[in-house]
Amino acid sequence: MSRYVIKFYKEGVLRYISHLDLLRLFKRSFKREGIRLQYSQGFNPHPKMSFAQPLSLGYSSTGEYIEFETTQPYPPEEIKEKMNRILPEGMGILSCEELPAAGKTLAAMTNAADYEISIPCPEGGNIDIIQLVSAYLSQKAITVLKHQRKSGKDVEIDMKPMIHDFAGFVDNNYIMLHCRLSAGSTANLSPELVLSSFCSHSRISYDRTEVNIKRKEIYFDS
Amino acid sequence: MVLTNQLDKLLMKVEKPGRYTGGEWNSASKDLSGIKTRFGFAFPDTYEIGMSYLGLQIIYHILNKKDSVFCERIFAPAIDMEELMRKEGIPLFTLETKSPVKDMDILGFTLQYELSFSNLINMLDLSGIPFKSAERTKEHPFVAAGGPCAFNPEPLADIVDFFMLGDGEEILPEVCEAHESWKMSGREKEEFLKTLAQIPGIYVPKFYTPVYEENGTIRSIERNYEKAPLQIEKRIVEDLNTVDFPEHCIVPFIDTVHDRAVIEIFRGCTRGCRFCQAGMIYRPVRERSKDKIKEIAMSQIESTGHEELTILSLSTSDHSEIEPLVQELMGVCRENNVSLSLPSLRLDSFSFKVLEEIQGYKKSGLTFAPEAGTQRLRDVINKSITDQDIYHAMEKAIELGWSNIKLYFMVGLPTETFEDLDGIAEIARNITDLNYRITGKRGRFNVTISVSNFVPKAHTPFQWFPQDSAELFHKKHQYLKDKLKSIKGVTFQYHGTEVSYMEAVFARGDRRLSDTLIKAVELGCKFDGWREHFNYGLWIKALDETGIDPDFYACRVRSFEEVLPWDLIDSGVTKAFLLEENQNAVKGSQSVDCRRGCIGCGINQRVNCTMEGTL
Repeated sequence: MSRYVIKFYKEGVLRYISHLDLLRLFKRSFKREGIRLQYSQGFNPHPKMSFAQPLSLGYSSTGEYIEFETTQPYPPEEIKEKMNRILPEGMGILSCEELPAAGKTLAAMTNAADYEISIPCPEGGNIDIIQLVSAYLSQKAITVLKHQRKSGKDVEIDMKPMIHDFAGFVDNNYIMLHCRLSAGSTANLSPELVLSSFCSHSRISYDRTEVNIKRKEIYFDS
Repeated sequence: MVLTNQLDKLLMKVEKPGRYTGGEWNSASKDLSGIKTRFGFAFPDTYEIGMSYLGLQIIYHILNKKDSVFCERIFAPAIDMEELMRKEGIPLFTLETKSPVKDMDILGFTLQYELSFSNLINMLDLSGIPFKSAERTKEHPFVAAGGPCAFNPEPLADIVDFFMLGDGEEILPEVCEAHESWKMSGREKEEFLKTLAQIPGIYVPKFYTPVYEENGTIRSIERNYEKAPLQIEKRIVEDLNTVDFPEHCIVPFIDTVHDRAVIEIFRGCTRGCRFCQAGMIYRPVRERSKDKIKEIAMSQIESTGHEELTILSLSTSDHSEIEPLVQELMGVCRENNVSLSLPSLRLDSFSFKVLEEIQGYKKSGLTFAPEAGTQRLRDVINKSITDQDIYHAMEKAIELGWSNIKLYFMVGLPTETFEDLDGIAEIARNITDLNYRITGKRGRFNVTISVSNFVPKAHTPFQWFPQDSAELFHKKHQYLKDKLKSIKGVTFQYHGTEVSYMEAVFARGDRRLSDTLIKAVELGCKFDGWREHFNYGLWIKALDETGIDPDFYACRVRSFEEVLPWDLIDSGVTKAFLLEENQNAVKGSQSVDCRRGCIGCGINQRVNCTMEGTL
């Protein structure tokens, strides 16, 4: 039994493929390329395979991770090559590495993620984005109402400790926001929340369908 | 014009955007410069439903194999997407190249159920194509249709330019070849339709005009193009082993209704149930050989990565090599971590053995279709199941641990009385008693009685019978509901009467209904096969405004002498046979399965009937 991690990108039409669809696509890709996955035991066996962190529908990414176990060892280069041959346009493997057979899952080790958000500049507006970002970050607390699914209530949370990094600049008539946010099971912050809170604080209006969000990297506890 | 950029903005706003992206494994991409015929294959429902339909994969494969043809897929956008497309002025598009449908040469719809007719018209609207063939010019694609509902094409006669009858593998390549030469010739649209009318299996409705009697029935159907055939014979693939079957099937990215590898093991059915249109129009039975099926199975698994494989036919157990076939397929599946699913098995000892092996602990529900509650009525409809068959199978199922049993019945069958409904309740009660006797327990055991409403269909022995009135259906549903209520562990389900009524109107309608369909779509009818979208009030309004009495089509007894709207269409089964079977039904006399001996349906006058008398 061997364990591997793959780093991949997802863009173009594949942005519209959901988390579960992606899992199925990987399952089928492994099957088509004859890479034999290890299946769980029990009444309903399923292949041992999981993502570090789900990616929201509509986001592109250049830094997604999936780990999986195989019944026999394969050279990581061979996995990368085979998978790149089969994956549809819009997806590709950036690297493949072997993992120690035992250890925490990637999901448990996920700690932060980098996002790049682009919004078209509001028409006619002259934007001092540097100033807006620093004003936003200088707040004592950055509070936002978050809907809690369990209780069904909106709860006020302070996002500031979960924003590790936040920078903005204007490029080619687009406001570009780069941020590193907490991710994973202990603390997780959605870039959409940061976007809406920053834009309302800075009085920037935007149309959600014009916004592009790309995840650039996921960071793990060592 | 390609719509990719405009689409991108919309996709951020809609549910399940993966329905509209294309780009799946094994989908086709072609250089348009060498293409003579752009064929839009249109399924008048959403992506998830259309992609679960095997015929799409077959036709897509057959057409794209031709170098000069490019077949692209078109589905009905869901309500939210349609709204946005209309708001942004984005026309209906193909999945492969995101081209507007208007750019196609031929737009071919598949007609799987009558209630999708409104979606067909709505899709024309979304494409900016005029509804009526008479209103379309050389700028517009030819609108074509095929599939089981094309066997009574008349309700769409003013809308569709030509219908294709029978097996698509035979007819579609010929249509495309004819189109290519017509296109080179630069002649008028009419000329292409005239050429098509000479191809067997093609019906061009504009070349015929029905003449009506004062009472509204048809006096005669006149030809207004002398070379148009008097009878349109459906096309038949004689040997399934020699036609191409898709092995590199398109694999959807998103979850669809049936997301699995599928192999058709035979076409047609020898049983001769008198209500069943499929059993009549897909004759004769043509089997794919066991070795060919196995070969396709292995290739499909390899080229799709699917985790489930299923076999398709009208009656799985009737394949002449079914036992070794299933054994061998189980082996193929086991080796590849693929699960095998076997629909419509007859519940005999072999089936139980197989089901036990492939389902094991995970016993899903077991379904069974006696269709009618008494032996008398089962004889009328020629469903050759006896009470003993039912109880024998149920006993075995309970012994093996099945605890969810679903039985399908129809109400409103010809000659039905309330005693036949009592029979349904009696079967339900006997099964729950049987369970008690075997397991000693009453809990955790459920029998679902699912009842659909009989809809008389064209080209069946029951095509002359009326449908029950809405009142009678309600009374029967209520009667059954009361009867079944008192039996513990029985769930009762039944279909909406209004939906079945509309189905009956269009299943045997004539071309005066074309205007009604258009009216209904203008009023907002769409997705009528979906309970949440079907709007009976709008249909009644459309019928009313176009001066149509729906009872004339649904609830009227038709005389045997009457000219039927679909009389031009020749399914290969003779009218004389349907008549004889109608009489046999009334007498309650059964006809044998044609594997026990020919019963003279007429199809062997056209092609060799290989299953005849093989039992």
